[in-house]
Amino acid sequence: MLGPNGAGKTSTLEMLEGMNDIDGGSATINGLDVSQNSYEVKKIIGVQLQANEYFDRLSLIELLILFGKLYSQEIDPMTLLQGVNLAEKANAKPDELSGGQKQRFSIACALVNNPKVLFLDEPTTGLDPQAKRNLWQLIRDLNSEGMTIVLTTHNMEEAEYLCDRIAIMDQGKIVAEDTPQNLILKYAPEPPQAALHGNIEDVFLVLTGHELRD
Amino acid sequence: MFTSAQLHLAKVFLKIFLRNRQSIFFSMLFPLIFTGVFFFSGGPADPIKLGLVNMSQSAIASQFSDLVIAEPSFDVTKGSLVELKEELILGDQTAIILIPENFTFIEGSSQLSLILDASQVRQASSIQETLENSLLAIERDVRGIKPMFNLVVEDVQARPQRYIDFLLPGILAYMLMNLCIAGSGFNIVEYRRRGILKRLFVTPIQPKDFIVAIILSRMVIVLTQISVMLGLAIMLLDINVVGGLPSLYGIVILGTFIFLSIGFFLGSIAKTQEAIQPIVALTSFPQLILSGVFFPISSMHEFIQPIAHVLPLSVVVSGLRSITNDGMSLLTLNLTTAGVLIWMVVSFIVAIKFFVWKEVAS
Repeated sequence: MLGPNGAGKTSTLEMLEGMNDIDGGSATINGLDVSQNSYEVKKIIGVQLQANEYFDRLSLIELLILFGKLYSQEIDPMTLLQGVNLAEKANAKPDELSGGQKQRFSIACALVNNPKVLFLDEPTTGLDPQAKRNLWQLIRDLNSEGMTIVLTTHNMEEAEYLCDRIAIMDQGKIVAEDTPQNLILKYAPEPPQAALHGNIEDVFLVLTGHELRD
Repeated sequence: MFTSAQLHLAKVFLKIFLRNRQSIFFSMLFPLIFTGVFFFSGGPADPIKLGLVNMSQSAIASQFSDLVIAEPSFDVTKGSLVELKEELILGDQTAIILIPENFTFIEGSSQLSLILDASQVRQASSIQETLENSLLAIERDVRGIKPMFNLVVEDVQARPQRYIDFLLPGILAYMLMNLCIAGSGFNIVEYRRRGILKRLFVTPIQPKDFIVAIILSRMVIVLTQISVMLGLAIMLLDINVVGGLPSLYGIVILGTFIFLSIGFFLGSIAKTQEAIQPIVALTSFPQLILSGVFFPISSMHEFIQPIAHVLPLSVVVSGLRSITNDGMSLLTLNLTTAGVLIWMVVSFIVAIKFFVWKEVAS
């Protein structure tokens, strides 16, 4: 889901997550009407919010166990942490994590109930290119295992790279929705000439390496 | 009775509290200081500081002045009127007794003057009584007569009842209220501001679960604090819980439930950390005055009494006091127990109904 600030991306997401009242139209997740079954819907979705703050003085493991309990589930926190490449930080507090680690941890929290649909609200905002690429890989892996992922972003490259379908929102309305390829064919003007080289980000990555800097 | 999510959440809140060394330190320091203040503020009253100016040369005046000096409830300084007046203004003397030049011992003719500082009038009215009694006794001595009457004060229930016995249950209940409102109200505003509540409520838990969990965890903390305080009060202040500890803990637990629920409600109507402070003060301060913590509700103005009697702090104070002082048990306290139960239901429903986990746009 793309759109300028204030376009209504987060509001739409929060309606789908059952956190905001739906004041017009309807939303269905896995055949469940969200406004009538918000409790049931919450059981099958995973949510990562823009602000990811957690209770103080609890380790990552303790937080994951807590989130599991909120779904009345016993979980294996280490497997989840390994899944997001944070196993060695198991006993750290969220405050001690870097930006990229924090985002990966908040995805781990969103995965405790093994959701059918995962909502990610601007997951890569503020991350360095290494952390961003790493998160992209994680999202792709989850998707290839069969999880539907709905994400909002300001990063066009991210949308193009990750998404099967893109909705562009403006002033509370979806102004276009299709596959990235079709959207480009339909709306993008012909480029004046083909780019011969990569962009500055490629330069940055070549010079500073692809490995994570957490 | 409780779901596993509620119990786990309660355990987590307790863990968070126990890992905060500073909060543990202060929550245990508080009962210590509290009991200490009572312990050290007790004891016999200090003698009244009295300036004495004798303008008379007569033998009877000097005999009188010697007796004033010998009076144990006075701490007398003799001196000139000018000097002593200065000391009075500075607060070094409480009052000055002036024996006039023409002080003689003819029936009903001599006049003693008492000079006070008007800014200390309240204190003066309480010492005036002591003064008059002492002066009367001195007069009897001078005249060599025996008193006709002797007033012996006896308690109707024939048990020693001190002010501290009246005060302690009230203060205990007031402390309970403050601990609880701080424990739920302030926490919830902070959790909401940081978006922690929002994150919790995208999972399938409900406000009820969250509230029950905080109540459970806070209950453990508050009961520990109350126990420390009560233990110290029993040891140092010689407090006697006539109605037994089980009833006392019973009402403390019910009170904790009420005040935590009220805290949740206040935390929900306060949008910011700045707003919660005056809102809490507005709730707790009138109750401190009106709930019979320091003096009985029956001594208040008549039109305020019906309101005062039904305040949540009032029902808890009156329950606690009946148990510690009058030996009632929770089961024999029909009206008070009913009041406590009604407040429990009302406050819990209000807490759940008004519970806000989202940041509210101001």
